[in-house]
Amino acid sequence: MSAEGFLTISDLNAGYGDARVLHGVNLSVGRGEICAILGPNGAGKTTLMRALSGMVWVRGSIGFDGADLARRSPDTIARRGVAHVPEGRGTFMPLTVEENLRLGAFTRRGRGTVEADLERIYTYFPVLKTRLRQVAGSLSGGEQQMLAIGRALMSRPRLLLLDEPSLGLAPLVTRELFRIVRTVNEQERTTVVVVEQNAHLALGIAQQAHVLESGRIVLSGTADRILQDEKVVQSYLGYRV
Amino acid sequence: MTGFLQQVIEGLGAGAIYASLALALVLIYQFTGIVNFAQGELAMFSTYIAWQFTAAGLPFWLALALALAVSFAGGMLIERVVIRPVEGAPELTVVIVTVGLFIFVNAAAGWIWTFLIKDFPNPFPGGALEAGGLSVGYSTLGVLAVVGVVMGLLYLLFQHTKIGLGMRAVAANPASARLVGIRVGWMLALGWGLAATVGAVSGTLVAPLLFLEPNMMGGVLIYAFAAATLGGFDSPGGAVAGGLIVGVAETLAGAYVGFIGSDLKVGVPLVIILFVLLLRPQGLFGRAVVERA
Repeated sequence: MSAEGFLTISDLNAGYGDARVLHGVNLSVGRGEICAILGPNGAGKTTLMRALSGMVWVRGSIGFDGADLARRSPDTIARRGVAHVPEGRGTFMPLTVEENLRLGAFTRRGRGTVEADLERIYTYFPVLKTRLRQVAGSLSGGEQQMLAIGRALMSRPRLLLLDEPSLGLAPLVTRELFRIVRTVNEQERTTVVVVEQNAHLALGIAQQAHVLESGRIVLSGTADRILQDEKVVQSYLGYRV
Repeated sequence: MTGFLQQVIEGLGAGAIYASLALALVLIYQFTGIVNFAQGELAMFSTYIAWQFTAAGLPFWLALALALAVSFAGGMLIERVVIRPVEGAPELTVVIVTVGLFIFVNAAAGWIWTFLIKDFPNPFPGGALEAGGLSVGYSTLGVLAVVGVVMGLLYLLFQHTKIGLGMRAVAANPASARLVGIRVGWMLALGWGLAATVGAVSGTLVAPLLFLEPNMMGGVLIYAFAAATLGGFDSPGGAVAGGLIVGVAETLAGAYVGFIGSDLKVGVPLVIILFVLLLRPQGLFGRAVVERA
């Protein structure tokens, strides 16, 4: 656990309608850290992300830089500096790449800074600059994921939530994405929570990791420790590292 | 040939009116997936408001501007109060609500203004532009110009303003729109406000040609449905093109197809709806969504 507690989740319950998916989750992420959430399918990883961005009902508290995000609406949470790249990327398919990126900065004022941020995104994802006028729906899966992360970064988030960024992507593309996420984290001190099936990749860039199973945190620790604990990796992540 | 062109021009004039109401239908459909059966009645109500202002002695264009402003606010209010509670309900529920709104607005207009027809002033001069054996009424030209301006303004709004971009984002993916901080509820209300405003333009264009009475828009709504179906319910440009095509088709069928004449030409939009749905359900300009996984 981090001492600073930039994001502090306490006794968090969350779910859909009558179905409760998360049962009393506690975790804390320090400012500027990358935190990986691991666990099998159906463990509640995506629900945890959705709880953080206000897309599902929650009980408990989500302390974020001095404010409580629990029970706030998604647009309010977004305005507080939380950027959620949902599973499946949430791209605005009929809109162009540039429009998608500009939407990331929707809540911000000041045209000059938006133009500067666009340039900043192109340095991370040069391929997007060559596709500006193209409709987002025509991009490849990897390009769409880059667009989704680029869109999130356009809001200058203080907390970046990445849900399964590797989903459906070729291993090389995934590796490139994770490298960029780490660069962003190092250069902009953006705090990142990443949900990932590919535990090895996620642990490669994270400082802290938590293993979620059946809606509960069953293991927390530094990424190194979890990576080295072969028994843990085998039993919770289902394969040898 | 001159006669044929003359008919085409008449058709375009009528079509521009269908186009404007179709545009209102498409605006709401794009954002909410709702086909608003009350669109015509809202337009009729707006027209009464404009009439009320002119009856109070205001000049026509000022009366129109005020009526448009009231319509915009009214459209937003209806979204907030009537539509919001059924947001996310099954489509049929929402359709029934708009049908209920249709009946309510129709009855309310009759209650306030009675069902007796009223004369609505025509803002355009009588007479016609004569050229090359053709005669184009100033009224027809005026209608075409107004619809052109409305389209242009909507284009500017959607393609060149931040709020327009936000509205298109809501139409494309409401969940993601929330995640980038867009207040989706307000965008939907804005969509209804815009649609009510465009509908109000349509009503004030129709009223001088027919008479102002509570059932004035019933027929026009059918043509607007045909126009939106033909052009594609998700395509504003398509709705306008669809409106013009329907108007021309109706006029030509009435003039040249013997057994249709002026009695059966009301059937033309229904035939168009039927064939579009059979042959190209997304409409001429509608998107059959193409996406890579």
